[in-house]
Order: sequence, then C-alpha cells, then structure tokens
Amino acid sequence: MKLNVDGLLVYFPYDYIYPEQFSYMLELKRALDAKGHCLLEMPSGTGKTTTLLSLIVAYMKAHPLDLTKLVYCSRTVPEIEKVMEELRKLMNYYEKEMGMEQNILGLALSSRKNLCIHPSVSKEREGKVVDGRCYSLTASFVRARHAADDAVPICEFYEGFDAHGKEFPLPPGVYNLDDLKEYGQMKRWCPYFLARHTITHANIVVYSYHYLLDPKIAEVVSKEISKTSVVVFDEAHNIDNVCIDSMSVKITKRLLDKCSNSITILETTISNMKENDSKRLEKEYKRLVEGLRDATIARETDMALVNPVLPSEILEEAVPGTIRTAEHFVAFLKRVVEYIKTRLRVQHVVQESPAGFLRDIHTKVCIDRKPLRFSAERLASLIRTLEISDLTDFSPLVTVSHFATLVSTYTKGFTIIIEPFEDRAPTVSNPILYFSCLDSSIAIKPVFNRFQTVVITSGTLSPLDMYPKILDFHPVIMTSFTMTLARPCILPMIVSKGNDQVAMSSRYETREDTAVIRNYGNLLVEVAAAVPDGIVCFFTSYLYLETIVSSWYDQGIIDQLQRHKLLFIETQDAAETSLALINYIKACDNGRGAVLLSVARGKVSEGIDFDHHLGRAVLMFGIPYVYTQSRILRARLEYLRDQFQIKENDFLTFDAMRHAAQCLGRCMRGKTDYGIMILADKRFSRADKRSKLPKWIQEHLKDTNCNLSTEECVQICKRWLRQMAQPFSREDQLGISLLTLEQLQSEEMQKKIQQRAQGV
Amino acid sequence: MDDYQTCPKCKTTKYRNPAMVLMVNACGHALCESCVELLFAKGSGACPECKCPLRRNNFRVQLFEDPAVDKEVDIRKRILKEFNKRQEDFPTLREYNDYLEEVETIIFNLVFDIDPTNTNKMIDNYKKENKDITQKNRNRQSQEEMELEELLEAEKAQQSEKANLYVNAELEEKKQKHKAREKLIDELMFSDADAKSIVASHVQATAALAKEQPKAAAQPSSGVVKSSKFSSGIQIGLRGQHTNSFLPIPKQEDLPLYRYTAPVFDYDGPPPPPIEKLGKLNYFANIRAANIAERAGGYTEAMSCCRALQEALGGLFYSPQLTHKTAVLATNSSTQDTDDMETT
Repeated sequence: MKLNVDGLLVYFPYDYIYPEQFSYMLELKRALDAKGHCLLEMPSGTGKTTTLLSLIVAYMKAHPLDLTKLVYCSRTVPEIEKVMEELRKLMNYYEKEMGMEQNILGLALSSRKNLCIHPSVSKEREGKVVDGRCYSLTASFVRARHAADDAVPICEFYEGFDAHGKEFPLPPGVYNLDDLKEYGQMKRWCPYFLARHTITHANIVVYSYHYLLDPKIAEVVSKEISKTSVVVFDEAHNIDNVCIDSMSVKITKRLLDKCSNSITILETTISNMKENDSKRLEKEYKRLVEGLRDATIARETDMALVNPVLPSEILEEAVPGTIRTAEHFVAFLKRVVEYIKTRLRVQHVVQESPAGFLRDIHTKVCIDRKPLRFSAERLASLIRTLEISDLTDFSPLVTVSHFATLVSTYTKGFTIIIEPFEDRAPTVSNPILYFSCLDSSIAIKPVFNRFQTVVITSGTLSPLDMYPKILDFHPVIMTSFTMTLARPCILPMIVSKGNDQVAMSSRYETREDTAVIRNYGNLLVEVAAAVPDGIVCFFTSYLYLETIVSSWYDQGIIDQLQRHKLLFIETQDAAETSLALINYIKACDNGRGAVLLSVARGKVSEGIDFDHHLGRAVLMFGIPYVYTQSRILRARLEYLRDQFQIKENDFLTFDAMRHAAQCLGRCMRGKTDYGIMILADKRFSRADKRSKLPKWIQEHLKDTNCNLSTEECVQICKRWLRQMAQPFSREDQLGISLLTLEQLQSEEMQKKIQQRAQGV
Repeated sequence: MDDYQTCPKCKTTKYRNPAMVLMVNACGHALCESCVELLFAKGSGACPECKCPLRRNNFRVQLFEDPAVDKEVDIRKRILKEFNKRQEDFPTLREYNDYLEEVETIIFNLVFDIDPTNTNKMIDNYKKENKDITQKNRNRQSQEEMELEELLEAEKAQQSEKANLYVNAELEEKKQKHKAREKLIDELMFSDADAKSIVASHVQATAALAKEQPKAAAQPSSGVVKSSKFSSGIQIGLRGQHTNSFLPIPKQEDLPLYRYTAPVFDYDGPPPPPIEKLGKLNYFANIRAANIAERAGGYTEAMSCCRALQEALGGLFYSPQLTHKTAVLATNSSTQDTDDMETT
C-alpha cells in the first residue's frame, strides 16, 4: 500500500500495516529530517526491518541529494539474509507499482569465508585461514611474481575482477550473498572484492556491525562511505559491548610464545633477503625515511593487515628513526615481547593505566612512546616488504603490535589488568594481560561524527536514557513503541515466593539454599504440567544452572519434570547446544513438548527465536547480573561512575534488565504469537527493576501479578491459556492491531497515532 | 615457561631447583647463582661460553627470558645515557630521526659485535662533540616524560579524591535513609494523624530525596580541579585543554537585565539648543548650506553646526570641582549627545 507519512509517499509492500509501524515511520522521518541520531525501541515481531527499509528507501527517492545511502548493520549472517529478503520484497513492490526497473542497488557484504568461490580456498572452514589463503593468492607481489613465473598460483576470479570488474558496475537490483556468488560465478569475478568495490556506489549496504565499529576493519571497508548516509544498527541492545570488544586486546602467555617464534621467522627472512635481494629492503627504508605513507596502501588486496584508528597526524608523520631499518624493528619487537613476558610473570593481580605502562616500559627496556605508536603500521609495512604470503602465523605478532599502538595512543578510557590465574582455578598459573577499553564511546564516536543520521534500534533498548550516556551522543529522537494487540498476547508475571512462602531469589546469600532451589523446581514442574508445547528457562550463569540441576536430581524434581516434558540443557559447547536445540524443536513439533534449560547471555538467549509452539512460556530464574567480581567489569564501572556519573548499581541493574528483557522477548515473535513470561525472583517487583523493563512488557505487567506464589501463578496461567487457545483470525485483529489503508487514514486512527507519538 | 630455564653450566633446571636464579653479565650468557659463586670465587674470570673476561660483581639477575635481551637493554641504557639529545635539539624532524637511527645502529653493532673499533670511535667522537648538550639534557625531562608524569599525577590525585568522595556520599546516603525510616516509625507511633497520609508523605519525601541525589553525585566531579597551572594561570605542559573531554555546561547568570537610563548633567550655563531648533534659532546662518549631492549622502547642516557648537561650548562642561572621572563621563556623554543629534 501507499502511505502518506508526514508528507512523504511511502511504498509499503504489504496490504496491512500495524499502527506502531506507522508511528515508527513518523519518528524515523523526523530524525531524518533533522539529520540527527535516534534511538527507537519497538517490540520484536512487529516488522521493524520492513518499516525501516520502506521509509528510508522512500526518503532516498524523494530527497536523492540529502540522503544517498543506507548502511544497515546487523549481527549475524542469517539476520543479514532476512534483511535482504525484506528489501527484495520491497523492490518487487516498487517495480509492480511503478511498472519499471528501479535504479536502486542493494547488496550484502560478509567475510571472505562466506563469499569465496575459489574451488579450493572456499573449502576451508575457518575464517582466518580463508583470509590468509586469499591473501597468498591475491597480494600484489604474488601477482607480480606470477607475471614473471607462471608456476606461482593466483586466483583466477580476482584476476577476472581486476581486469574487467572495476569498469562495469553491478547492475541495479538486490544481491544477497548467494546472488553475489552466482553473479561472480557467471562472470568469473571474485564476489568478495566485487562487493567491496561496489560498496562505494551501492544505495543500500547490509553488513555486520564490525565493518563499521571495529576500527581495524572500518578503516579498510567503510572508509569511503559518504557523510550523507543513514546508518542503522539493528538489534543494537548490545552495541556498547561490541564497541568495547573491538578496542580491547587480550594477551596470553601462549600468544607471546608464538610471537617469539614469528620474530625468529622474521629475522631469518630478513637476513635471507639481505643476501639475495637487498634492494627491496632499501626501497622500503627509503620510503620510510621520506615519511610517505605507503603508496601501495591503495592496493586493496594488501589490506589483510590493518591498523587500529590513529589520529591522522600521526599517520602523516615519518616513522621514527629507532624502528626505521628492518633489523632494528625486529629487535624492537623482541624487546616489547620480552618485556610483556616479564610483566606476565606476576604473582598477584596488577592493574595500571596506560600512562603507568608507558613509563614502566621506558624505564625497563628504554622504549619511547613514539615508536610504540608506530609499531602496527611498521609491522604491516615490513610484512609487505618481506612478501610473506602466509599471514596466519603472524596474527599473534599483529595482536601485540596493535596492543602497542593502542596503549601508546590512548591514555584515557583504557586500563591494563594482568591476572596471574583465573579466579576459578587459582592454583593453575595462566597469566593473561587484558588491555581493556572502558569507554564504549571511543569506538563509535567516528560513526556518530561522520554520518548525518545513526539509527539505533532493537526490541529491547529500555531504559532508553542509558544508551546516550554510555555511547556519549545526543539523539534527536528517543522513543519506545508498544505493541497494539487485539488480545493480551503476553502474560508477564513476577513470582516471588513458593507455595511454602519462602522467598525466591538468586541472591548470592540464598543461592545455595535448598528451599529456594526446591521452590524453583516446583515452579517449573507445575508450569510444565499446565503449559503445552515448549518451555524455555533461563538461568543467570552456567555455574548456577549446573548446581541447580544437580540438586534437582537429588530432590527428584527432574523425574517429575520428565513425566510431563522432555528436558534439554544448553552447555558451553556450541555443537552440543545446537544438537540440543534441534531435538528440542523436534520434540515441540511432534507435540511431545519439551523444556530447554539455558543461560541468559548464552547463545540461546541471543538470536534464537522461539515463536509459537516453540516457546509458550519463558521462565527467568533470578536476575542475570554479570559476574561482578571480574576486574574488567569493576574497572569499567569505576570509569562510568567517574566520567559519566552513572552509579555502579544503576549500570548493573540496567545490564541485568536488558538481558532479562532479551530473554523474555524470545517467546514473542509476532502478533498471532502468545507466551507466558515468568520472572522468578523477588527482586523483580522492586520499582527500580520493574521500571527498566521495556514498555511493551511493562504495559501488561499488572500490579496484581507482581507478587505471586507458585500456586497463584499456575492458576493465572491456566485461565489465560484457555482464553488464548481460542481460534484467532486476521479479522479479529483488523482495525485494532492491523490496519488497512482506509482504516489507517480514518480520522480516529490518526488521532490515536498522534496521541501515541506524543505520549512517549 | 620458567620451568624450562636451565643453567648451561651445571644443567640445573628451575623445575628441579625452584630456588635457582640465573644471572647474566655483560656478554649476555646466563649462569646460575651457584655456578657464579664457584667460577668467580676470585672475583673475576672468563665466561665459560665465550671466554670473555668478566667480573663477579657485574653479574645481575636475569630479567628476561632471553639473556640476549638482557644484554641489549644493558648496553642500551649505557649508550642512552650519553646519547640523550631531544627532538628540540634538532632543526627538523628528519635530522632527529636520522640521529635516532644512528644511535640504534651503534647499539645494534655493540650487541652483535659488528665492527667494534669503528663503533667505539664513533661513540668517543660523539662524546667529545656533544659534552654540553649531554650534560644539559641529563638534568631535564623530555616533554613526553613530563606529559606522562603529569598524567600519572592527575590520575593519582583523582583516585584518592574520588575514593573519599564516594565513600562519604554513600555513608551520607545510608544515614539519611536510616533517619527517614526512624522518623517514619516515630511518626506512626506517636502522631495522631492518619497512618496512610503519613506513609504517603514519607514516600513523597524519599522520592524528592532520590531526585536530589543524582545532582549531588554529579557535583563532585566538577569540583575536581587539576593542579596543572602556575599561580599566574598559565597551563603547565601542552595538555590541559585536551584532557577535559567534556564541555562545561554554559552557565546562565541570573543578573537583572541592563536598562539604559539617560545620564543627567548639570551644566554651568545655559542648556544646549536641541537639534530640531537649530534652524529656527538661526544657527545655520553661519554655515554653508548643504548641496543636493551632500544631502544624498546623509549630510545636513545640523551636523557641522553641532560640531561647531560642541567645540565652542565644550569648555562649559569643565568645572574644577568635578572629579576626573565624572568629567570624562561628561565629555563622553556629550559626544553621545552629538551622536544622537547626527542620527536625527
């Protein structure tokens, strides 16, 4: 249908629209008009993706000069594919309505692993290996060698692309990963480089967060995206952690040992080269003396090794004299590695600031800050000069050089923590150096600064005001939408006590209490008896899950549970978990019913949907606080408190509640879906926790359902399930939670939408 | 790792004898402590590996896993004591970088014993040529070091201050909560008012308190002042402006708005004729009439007339009783008067 959103003609590829989708468009349009950033929360299953796409594409068509590009960032490959499907639907609708081909080019980009069509390289299963092998076939010096000697293997697809692909742009259309591969096969061009080349002139780019947030990758891939783009971060409730991870480095003892090995390799290669072909080293040396940034840097295939963000003035300066010649640089690296090794030889935990580290490295091994800052750049240059084609061996050394560069570049917002052993195994020596980023705004700042509109959206972003604080930006629009429902589809309840009136809580003090564990077990058994099909349970940690399950065995609760449903348990092993998931789905599909025990923050809680019969009830046992004794977390909390005036407790609660909400949202994937959400912890009923749940859950959480016992909870469940099990058709929804064009345009509905938009 | 360390002489390993300590000397070959004592009982001797003469009191505990690095760092420290020129001592960055490379080459040569005669000559030459600079630089810190020092100091200061602040704030909060609760109970016990209203007012009071709290928490950070200034207010070091990543909130001063009041002058004479009346009073008789071109530019006879009048009568403003300040004020305002006239 064609909509009029605040004066903008929007083609919407479906016959019906949800009222909240329309409000979402209104808010999004305002943000685009204002050229500002926005935060939008809308429950999952209400068609965020299609709403976003149809509005932004319409906006691009209407204002081709103001908005030239949409960069859509998603988390996983399946999610990227979903977005491409929606986009294809939208483009087909445009074509049908307008009767001609649309001049819009949309494409998905992923790693080489997902895009490679080289017959042998694409067989590799590990991403790093594919990257390394690709580099060994496409690096400029390999190709130069091939020109001299035909025996040197190269990639015919890359050659094809390089010879012809650059002149012929990809014809307009929508290309997902498979389409790209197919097109590449047909033309005999490399799809990966084709996609990377096409990014600059495509209208819609869909890729993973890392291509934009990880400074090491963004520098290469996303450098040339123009300012007049809109960037969308979907499922962005975890964005701050992604930012932090992208800037943090972890160095273990083993990694350092590997570094020593690669340094020896470097040494021998250099001495070999000196004997045979000293010209190349001289050439590199001259270039470094002149202070030219690598001329070859434009050659895209050489970008397998990249640098963390540096202020550009550093990049323009000449490499300091101390590390100019290859031998000196290798000796320098050796000293750095040896120094870090001595630092790892500690008996107790050490925490220090980058400034302290720099001073110490200066006094101990006489290394100044400046050469450290250049080490990543210098190493990349050296590896290029030495024409080392197998990069996989050098990744530990690259990690260390990145660490050196980062530690000397940023003195604020980072900390160094050296732990001699893990907390769980204090007798086993396993020293690890964490260079941890504390400030999530550092990685995302360039994104906010560069693009005119950044949209951060997810099903669970509450509390909204925390994100601008921790990411340090000023949104123009910050809105949470609720779900309009024709019937009460979700039933959130807070169960605070068992039948014996003992309070249920995962508090540290009562964690081991058998009464609490038994009450949790009874709750699950009774719910399993009352609820049909699948039930998903979330625990606060793997450790907690294991202790509880073992006591349930002793108490006979597992036996009782298995009388009603099959039991599956998530473990830390990915293969095991996916097997459990497959069988869980099988059990639900054939009507046997199943219970899945999993962990908040685990794989199941992020990204796996339990729609319809797969998840009729979600139980959250306890509040999923992070492990608060972790030193990295402590340091981050301190930093947040000092820099952003966020109290420790506020942040911990915020983090716990967003994960709880994420878990609860697993069972609700659309308007015809229905599910019970049970929060089994006394502390959930407190105002500070409850108010941090997303609005669409809070709306249905009545005061009377906030302090229930197991028995009461089961009674309510039974009544509600009977009501929900009645047949439900589209006609029931129409006019309330599903609108046709006429209904949308009716005055009454417009008024309602206006009210909703203002109410938030 | 450490368990594999072996003394090359007696083949003791760290694993078998955890108390074993490896030592290194100038040549960069390791020996365990007991071997050192045995071999160098006389105070000096030859290294069992390279046979170079060593002294016993030059043995140090090996810091790094690779004794060669120990040796290098040792040489480096010695060389850098002499070669301590700074970037400020060179006209261009290029020359500084060349110098750095030269130093690096010297160290490299010494470590690997390449061309020792020439290298030593170079060092001696350098020492002779750059005596003064070396002496001078020894006593002053480089800019980079200063920066780091400053950062570290600031961190320390911040930390101690914050630790105090937050502990105090937390204590205060607890105390307040406790007080509020006691007050509520007291009221419930002794007051005659409705229990519900008491509870309601208590809830309101706590909510108000909670609102105030964030403000209080926000304040201390602004109170932290870095001592990076001289008493004259000039910043120490280069940073200062850059370290503070947060712009201060622009302060709105609530002063009353400025209001203009016409100044009152007491003239020691007749009041000056107002500009409109100049023509009527026949003042223009002595002034050349403005022609059409001049009028187009905005010039009127009144202007030059005013100026002439001001020059003629300006002396009247001067009275010896007036203080200097008011006199100045008066002259200023008189020009303002004429300005007013000109615009009319």
